[in-house]
Amino acid sequence: MSISSYSAAIMPAEDTVRPAPRLILRSQLDDMALLWPWVEALVAEYAVPADTAFAIHLCLEEAVSNVIRHGYSGEPSHAVTVDCASPGERNLVFTIEDQAPPFDPLAPGLIDEPAAPSPEDYLRPGGRGILLLHKFAGSLAYERLSGGNRLTIGFVLPG
Amino acid sequence: MQISTQDLDGGVTRVELDGRMDIAGAAAVDLKMNLIAGSAKKLLIDLQKVTFLGSMGLRSIVLPARAVHSRGGKVVIFAPNEMVEGVLKASGIDSLLPIHHDLAAAMAALQ
Repeated sequence: MSISSYSAAIMPAEDTVRPAPRLILRSQLDDMALLWPWVEALVAEYAVPADTAFAIHLCLEEAVSNVIRHGYSGEPSHAVTVDCASPGERNLVFTIEDQAPPFDPLAPGLIDEPAAPSPEDYLRPGGRGILLLHKFAGSLAYERLSGGNRLTIGFVLPG
Repeated sequence: MQISTQDLDGGVTRVELDGRMDIAGAAAVDLKMNLIAGSAKKLLIDLQKVTFLGSMGLRSIVLPARAVHSRGGKVVIFAPNEMVEGVLKASGIDSLLPIHHDLAAAMAALQ
């Protein structure tokens, strides 16, 4: 099954249209346009407050674009899978999986946070992305899979 | 993503950004931002209508700001919403570019 047909196949057919719990993107930045409406649907479904919704958009944009640009080195036609689950009353957990070479965004040393950053710190593509991911995620966990990577980003919703 | 400019008193160029400064939004304004930065000496980057800012959006602000600074000019950021300001501060950009919420104070900082 191709990526695009799979994406279509997971749309629910019930009367109550709920957002699909999984989004599969191709490893090209154009596909990032699919993230926003998917997250917006989930935000509406789970009544996520605006500041948490902003943090979700931010973390997913940084994490997924990082996989596309660095994990797959810009090679198109690989897959990036994003799953959303709500394991507790007021928790939302996003899991991003890829089949790229090992990359742990939580590795020590990746978050350089100089007291006085220079413009160059921002000008590297995604230069501040990992830092923002760390600051805006509720929780972060990384696992190396056989032949891929899994990043789990959690958010606690106010109860 | 929309971008427009306005000449204010004292040689200040106000560039108003409107929309989401995500990857697509940043790409949409990069060229115009760099053109504006190529001639502006006092640049007020108005973020009032920006609803989202990611790392690529930060880059789209810092790159033109660096160009203005390199010619001895000044750049300030004006009126980001609370969440956008959170990104600016989390990234440390406020140490390079002052953030103002009062237009008179922003204008004074550019003189």
